[in-house]
Amino acid sequence: MIQSGLLCALAWLLVNGIDRLLSWQTCTRPIVTATVTGFLLGDLQTGIIMGASLEAIFMGISAIGGSIPADACASSIVAVAFTVLVGADVETGLALAIPIGTIMASVNEIMKPFLASFAPYWERLCATGNAKSLKIQLTFFGLFVDRMAQAVILFLAIAFGVEGLQAFIASLPAWIMSGLGAASAMMTGIGFAILTSMIWNKEIGVFFFAGFVLAKYMALPTLAIAILAFTVAVMYFLTQKQIVELKKNGTKLASTDNETEDFF
Amino acid sequence: MAKIEYSNQEKKTLRKMFWNSGYVFAGFNMVKMEGNAFALTMAPVLEELYTNEDERKAALKRHNGFFNTHAVMFALIAGITYALEKEKKTKNSVDDDTIESIKAALMGPTAGIGDAFFFNCLRIIAAGIGIGFCSQGNILGVVMFILIYGFSQIIARWYLLRAGYTFGTTFIDSVFESGLMEPLTKAAGIVGLTMVGAMVATMVNVNLAWTINVGETSVVVLDVVNSIMPGILSIGLIFVLVKLIKKGVKPITLVFGILIITIALAFFGIF
Repeated sequence: MIQSGLLCALAWLLVNGIDRLLSWQTCTRPIVTATVTGFLLGDLQTGIIMGASLEAIFMGISAIGGSIPADACASSIVAVAFTVLVGADVETGLALAIPIGTIMASVNEIMKPFLASFAPYWERLCATGNAKSLKIQLTFFGLFVDRMAQAVILFLAIAFGVEGLQAFIASLPAWIMSGLGAASAMMTGIGFAILTSMIWNKEIGVFFFAGFVLAKYMALPTLAIAILAFTVAVMYFLTQKQIVELKKNGTKLASTDNETEDFF
Repeated sequence: MAKIEYSNQEKKTLRKMFWNSGYVFAGFNMVKMEGNAFALTMAPVLEELYTNEDERKAALKRHNGFFNTHAVMFALIAGITYALEKEKKTKNSVDDDTIESIKAALMGPTAGIGDAFFFNCLRIIAAGIGIGFCSQGNILGVVMFILIYGFSQIIARWYLLRAGYTFGTTFIDSVFESGLMEPLTKAAGIVGLTMVGAMVATMVNVNLAWTINVGETSVVVLDVVNSIMPGILSIGLIFVLVKLIKKGVKPITLVFGILIITIALAFFGIF
């Protein structure tokens, strides 16, 4: 099982790595992931057929709105692995896959603050202006660091069984998980604070609150808020344009006045 | 859109930008989200335009700010930013704040459009076709899925990058000639700040789990605070952070500060 565990971890790193270097969310979809896993484990046909049913299951479950119930990619790998290795039927494979998918979703949460703590490192790297080094390190991160913890867990799950992992996650004190979750929801605020301090301007700062209210109280979708903001911006722009033109014409008028006075 | 002949240098820069724009999810983190990828995508532009080393470093650091949109629309904004940076260097008509305002104004709406078109529409079509083939054990289904959902995004990224640059150049030229750059900056700032406010409302959460037990009744603190104004804690958090950043507190201090405080408070059941 150790060898199959390694192959599953490889499948995970492979599909995630490709997606990260092509800005895709394509290979981590169950239909591709299951096929790749099946191929690596030596049963391409099962991988393809399971990919179809896994994609159908996970099609509606998306990350929109925050919490993801189960990691589709990890679930697919485990489902195919159990079906191919143990000879279980598709339903049993899926039943085994969902717990690991939920474990992986918690691991993703734990990893978020860890990866966020690299943000200042990237900023320092950018401040050195070394674009080549930035690219090399981002490639390395995209291929290995970002998703390595999950690969290790996948390996352990396939090689030594899921039960131990479930017990481990359950044994973590609840306050650690809730603390980490709260931290990652607040850390996004740092990025926004940097952005706000850059574009903040006394004259237009009040629009921050308008956007907040439109999203929080009225629960409008982003595009609707953008259109409203755009309407106000166009009105503002056209008024300012008139003022600019008036100023131009005004100075022209004033100068012609002077000329006529001189003439007389 | 008018056809524009790109110079060899522009072609080279756009090509480099295109490859770098594939890194949207690499080094993704909750603080800057796609900021790393944006800095990397702008690096060829800065290489082309900035001769002064210190200015180039500062510009690369500036583009490492918070950035988040759909992976394909990312290229469109990068193209527009290329045009803006070029205007800034050659005609000095655009300043840093304008560039950041325009980036902030565009990321929200483009994310919505990208998600709606690629994730919620094209992905479903591709999966539908793929599942049909795959359920019969035909590998063609996987190939079709990758072609329809994956390669369409690569092609879209290439064209949107160029379209953004072309649009940016022609648009900014006409604005600059009419002397309306300052009103435009403010107008972009209006959209930008509104979108930042909206994103703070949806993406920044202060999840207090604190309940105070007074005799028989228990008070959920978050509900009490939210009854004053929903999300008042998020706004408070943002402005405390803005204040700290203006005072020169480093982001690393803030990251670890938040982490330590939340976990410590979570131990006492506050988070």
